[in-house]
Amino acid sequence: MSDIRLEVKNISKNFGITRALKNVSFTINKGEVHALIGENGSGKSTLTNMLTGIYPMETGTFVLDGQEIHPKNQVDANNLGISIIVQELGTLSGLTVAENIFLGHEDRFIKCGIRNTQKMNAEANRLLEKYGFNNIKANKMVDEYNFEDRKLIEIVKATYFHPKIVVIDETTTALSQEGREELYKHMKRIRDEGNTIIFISHDLPEILSKSDTITVLRDGDYITTVKSADVKEEDLKKLMVGREVTGDYYRADYGEEISKEVVLSVRNVTVPGIIHDVSFDLHKGEILGFGGLSESGMHEVGKAIFGASYDREGSVVLANGTPINDITTAINNSIAYTSKDRDNESIVINESIRDNIALPSLDKLRRSPGLPFISWSKIKAFALKYALEMSVKMQGTEQFVSELSGGNKQKVVLARWIGKDSDIIVLDSPTRGIDIGVKQDIYQLMNKMRKEGKSIIMISEELMELIGMCDRIIIMKDGTVSGETMRSPDLNEHSLIEMMV
Amino acid sequence: MNAFKNLSGSTKGYIVLISLVVLSWLIFKILTPHNFGSPDQLLSYFQASLIATVGAIGFYFVMDMGLFDFSIGANIILSSIVGCQLAANFGLGYPGLVLGAIITGSIVGLCNGFFYVRLRIPSMIVTAGLALIYESLANYMAGGVEQTLPSDLRGLGQMPGNLILALLTFVLAWGILNYTKFGTYTYAIGSDEFVAKNMGINVDKFKVLAFILSGAFFGAMAVLTISYGSSMVAVTGMSSMSRNFIPTMGCFFGLAFMKYGIPLQAIILGEFIVNIIFFGFISLGAPTAIQDVITGLALLIIITLTTKVNKGEIVK
Repeated sequence: MSDIRLEVKNISKNFGITRALKNVSFTINKGEVHALIGENGSGKSTLTNMLTGIYPMETGTFVLDGQEIHPKNQVDANNLGISIIVQELGTLSGLTVAENIFLGHEDRFIKCGIRNTQKMNAEANRLLEKYGFNNIKANKMVDEYNFEDRKLIEIVKATYFHPKIVVIDETTTALSQEGREELYKHMKRIRDEGNTIIFISHDLPEILSKSDTITVLRDGDYITTVKSADVKEEDLKKLMVGREVTGDYYRADYGEEISKEVVLSVRNVTVPGIIHDVSFDLHKGEILGFGGLSESGMHEVGKAIFGASYDREGSVVLANGTPINDITTAINNSIAYTSKDRDNESIVINESIRDNIALPSLDKLRRSPGLPFISWSKIKAFALKYALEMSVKMQGTEQFVSELSGGNKQKVVLARWIGKDSDIIVLDSPTRGIDIGVKQDIYQLMNKMRKEGKSIIMISEELMELIGMCDRIIIMKDGTVSGETMRSPDLNEHSLIEMMV
Repeated sequence: MNAFKNLSGSTKGYIVLISLVVLSWLIFKILTPHNFGSPDQLLSYFQASLIATVGAIGFYFVMDMGLFDFSIGANIILSSIVGCQLAANFGLGYPGLVLGAIITGSIVGLCNGFFYVRLRIPSMIVTAGLALIYESLANYMAGGVEQTLPSDLRGLGQMPGNLILALLTFVLAWGILNYTKFGTYTYAIGSDEFVAKNMGINVDKFKVLAFILSGAFFGAMAVLTISYGSSMVAVTGMSSMSRNFIPTMGCFFGLAFMKYGIPLQAIILGEFIVNIIFFGFISLGAPTAIQDVITGLALLIIITLTTKVNKGEIVK
């Protein structure tokens, strides 16, 4: 019997003039975790979205266990034995947990058009118990559960029917360590049952430790397939980017003194139920890091500084004494903020790159000062200048942001605030879901801004980037500051983790 | 306060709804103690509310998908005129009245859904345009003359006929929402149409079905309307829009209490509240314009206070 589970044969896909996949061919075996890696826009998600019926096929074929398949939608793919767990939320509000688990597969509970809801709930509860998710109840509305629990529901939904292939598309970046461990446990179980995982992640150490085989894509081309045991992180970086990734990945400097000049003072900031009594100063030209577990409250610190928190207490004051209590005041006083939830809170997804970049700077893009009329020629030139400065991969600034990959969306967000020439930049998870090439660009940009005297607050769940980029790191735990440490070549993840847990 | 927080969603919802019923009754009872709010009067307010409740429950299937219907009034007028003519002029009696109105309502719903799906323009615009056509069609069928239902065919306008018809529609809607695939898909499409499509749900088909179902319920509402009021005038020039308000308000109650898991119960009690306020103003002898202003404001306040919107949640 053949070991081959899936043959990807000459798959190509175009979006307009963009060639997302070019004649890609490789094979995936039974009983393995097969990682798919590549920079943003390399075609990983396009390929798996076609395999799971989310995107229609164009040219080429998928052969599953010797049979050619053409999944029309996700349910059709499920019926063929393929499922997917997506990066963002994949459950539907307004439905119960059981309805979400069996969405599209209700027919097994229906007789003469009437659904046996009790039977469906009982079956969902049985599965939830089997998976060890005892706190989740089948008959409850899914809205009653947090992001993490809803991801666990998705794990049940995607795997309860023992699919031959489960695609896990950058799911781990959205999960806390606990959630990740839960996911890893089920990945192992699926592999041990002889089934296959297609695992997409930008976290290369995670890829190396959790996968058996790795296929690399670059700009829509198939590059190679290697055994995880035969390669190191540096080899993968080189394969992904197509050149050596050397030198200035993180900052190389140590021992530089932080300026004494305080640009922002945060005192006793509390957001009920999220953060409590947080105080710190941000200095000119400093990169101040915030680390902690996902629910530690560190993400709320960014919002609180930007005036975007609700019911905030305490004070956020600029060096000139201006209090920051709302977003408008923050932007008018040269503060920028990029959210962790890029698609929902940072970019206007159904607008062009041009409009996204120009949005907060429209006041300075008028035909003449004092008149209310905006100048389209100025807007176009402005957007193009900063999009090029950030090397956004695009067909033009009129291209819709929704068509860009995650990394390029992030570049658009950063281009917006560079264009605004903000002096204080709050970056929440700036490299989340982003490949190493773009990561390196972002790190270099941060370093450049720091040298120009801009002050940066970097909030991240990736400890290595905090250690590599920050002058000072504040660790949050249970909504409060649990520790602080200065930049040092001796600093390692363990010392930070001790403060986190 | 903590004890309230610990209650189940549906219990909280019922407590809020029943409190609103009592509060709206109490206000008018204090203002006009002698000619408002006796048990008999409350029963008659409830009977009157059943009419719009039937339509609102059907409309919930459409609104929950994020769609809208501006042809409610035109549908009710057209369906009641067809039902009345079949019952009286063609001698088909009650079957003609009930089936005629419900089938006409369903056909109107089918047209709404079909044109919405085919033309790919917002449901508000499609149904507003079609409302003009339905109004004209009803006017043509009525020959510009008020259509009166014979007195021996008005049994569904009073107890127990109206209650039986209303109960049948409630049970049907409840069963569809909770015990059919269609009910689940209604919520799924309303929540995220793209994901629903990826789950293999034929979104367009279910949207059309929702319009048909909603239309059928408006047909049933038309039966109750003409049976209760005994006649119907086929107005034109979008005058039928005034009939949209009350079923739509009831539906807003349903959407507001969806998170508590009791949308249909909220529609029933919501329409009852609307009628208590309406009859309260009549008892006070308030001019119609004042009635409308205060009713509108009162309902906005109720919906605002009862809708659970999380901080920062975007409301469109």
